[in-house]
Amino acid sequence: MFERTELNARNDRTQALVKVLFGVMTVLLALPVLIILGMLVVRGGPMISWEFLTADPTNGMTEGGIYPALVGTIWLVSVALLISVPIGIAAALYLSEYARDTWMTRAINLAIINLAGVPSIVHALFGVGAFVLFFKFGTSILAASLTLAIMTLPVVIVATRESLQAVPHEFREACWNMGATRWQTIRRIVLPNSISGILTGVILEVSRTAGETAPIMFTGAAMFLPFLPQSVMDQTMALSLHLFAISTQVTDVPEELPYGVALVLIGLVLALNAVSIGFRTWLRGRKKW
Amino acid sequence: MRNIALATAMAVSLSLVACGGGGGDDADGGRAQRTLLQNKGSDTLVNVAQAWAEAYREVDPSVAVAVTGGGSGTGISALINGTVDLANTSRSMKDKEIEKARQNGIEPVEHIVGYDALAVYVHKDNPIESITFAQLAAIYGEGGTTKTWDQLGITVPGAKDGKIVRVSRQNNSGTYAYFKKAVLRKDGEYKLGSLDMHGSKDVVDLVMKTPGAIGYSGLAYATHEVKLVPVARDDGAPAVMPTVATAIDRSYPIARPLFMYTRGQPEGAVATYLDWILSNDGQTIILDKGYAPVRAPVRDDLR
Repeated sequence: MFERTELNARNDRTQALVKVLFGVMTVLLALPVLIILGMLVVRGGPMISWEFLTADPTNGMTEGGIYPALVGTIWLVSVALLISVPIGIAAALYLSEYARDTWMTRAINLAIINLAGVPSIVHALFGVGAFVLFFKFGTSILAASLTLAIMTLPVVIVATRESLQAVPHEFREACWNMGATRWQTIRRIVLPNSISGILTGVILEVSRTAGETAPIMFTGAAMFLPFLPQSVMDQTMALSLHLFAISTQVTDVPEELPYGVALVLIGLVLALNAVSIGFRTWLRGRKKW
Repeated sequence: MRNIALATAMAVSLSLVACGGGGGDDADGGRAQRTLLQNKGSDTLVNVAQAWAEAYREVDPSVAVAVTGGGSGTGISALINGTVDLANTSRSMKDKEIEKARQNGIEPVEHIVGYDALAVYVHKDNPIESITFAQLAAIYGEGGTTKTWDQLGITVPGAKDGKIVRVSRQNNSGTYAYFKKAVLRKDGEYKLGSLDMHGSKDVVDLVMKTPGAIGYSGLAYATHEVKLVPVARDDGAPAVMPTVATAIDRSYPIARPLFMYTRGQPEGAVATYLDWILSNDGQTIILDKGYAPVRAPVRDDLR
């Protein structure tokens, strides 16, 4: 019916070229991740053993395990989550479901975006001034986790708000028309439909919290403290700071040790993420739309 | 059904938190109240401080010592703010800093815990045999004219255009301050354009990899991969190799005391810890880490 013209051929060539080009870009994108993970597994993998995970560091932190740092990181992340998740979700709910579009809410939104852009070292100094010195929490898990919580609040708020707004407005209207209050609507319709998105925000927060070094360095983490914390008022070791210390301050560290610590840190984050990703997938499967 | 989903979501996030929190209690459970000592400051001292803290677990398990580095300035400002029990420094506190501490009701008390020889490091292929204070000042000091190794009469294999790569420290470091005072003398300032590293170990690592480099750092950071240069105070004076022995007898010209500052006269656990640091056991540890102890040799195998 139609003849293939020169123009068709040229378009096809361009199309093929663009496809290949974009494909290469995508592969390049994944490459650093694969290289980093590969390096860590190859060089750090042999370090990992049950003893490495459960023993104290010995001989000037060049031998032994990382137990106090591992437990410390779990403490820091948990307390930070306990503080930021409820506050973040409540704030996002208010902004998305209750607040009208006034200069006030716009200012708050702007503040949240700016909070996300503040460098972590500035959060760290704020943490020292506010929590360590002013509120007299001292250098403690509480001070460090509060600092981390403030730093990661925007992540939770933004992710929660996005997923709340992804719930079709008709759902709410239908509910209101049945005579439900705003809270009943949120409780029965909005939250259940957006919980998977909220979990995404929490996942992102966990990753960021576990990896941060600057905010905890001055507020609650010690380079060396081979005792487990007994309350939130104690100081603690942490994996990220431990990695920093053995790579920059300690001499005669076996070359493989930092790789091992980095692998555990990434493994911890991935494990926590895997739990919530699995849960999210399960929830999404139950979604009715 | 959606209720259940929501409830489970909350339960999971709570249990994540709970298992994190619970992890802390099992291993150490049942231990009596523990005294926590905060020890922060000098990067020069951080590895010794860590070794002391580690060994002290055996001496008194009821005391936990938390060690953090960051530099002498970090330790001093923490002492002024009252957030540490012991501040490690590789320089004395300045009058201004003592004044500030007093304003906060803290009387800093100085304790010498050891000595450190500040070694001059070069690449291991560098043929230099000795260096004088004047030559160092010409390399590092403001107004100094030495820019190439030729000017010192040597050729360094691998150094680009024979240029001297100056490696220095960040300006809140005690090592930075001491090298300035000892080598550049009064009113001396550093020449701009040096590579400023944020740790004693970083200086040595960089010099190790850079043929034309020169750097200064604690003797304890020496490795077999770098060369230590004997230093002479004046042109006529003998050049002395930095070693623990020459630091103890003070024949090495760039040796400095290392301090721990306490808030007021030490009491209780702080006093016991400090006494132990100055005891034979504590001083053996500082010696093993490559620094000079406060008192004459504590072991026979030293001299």
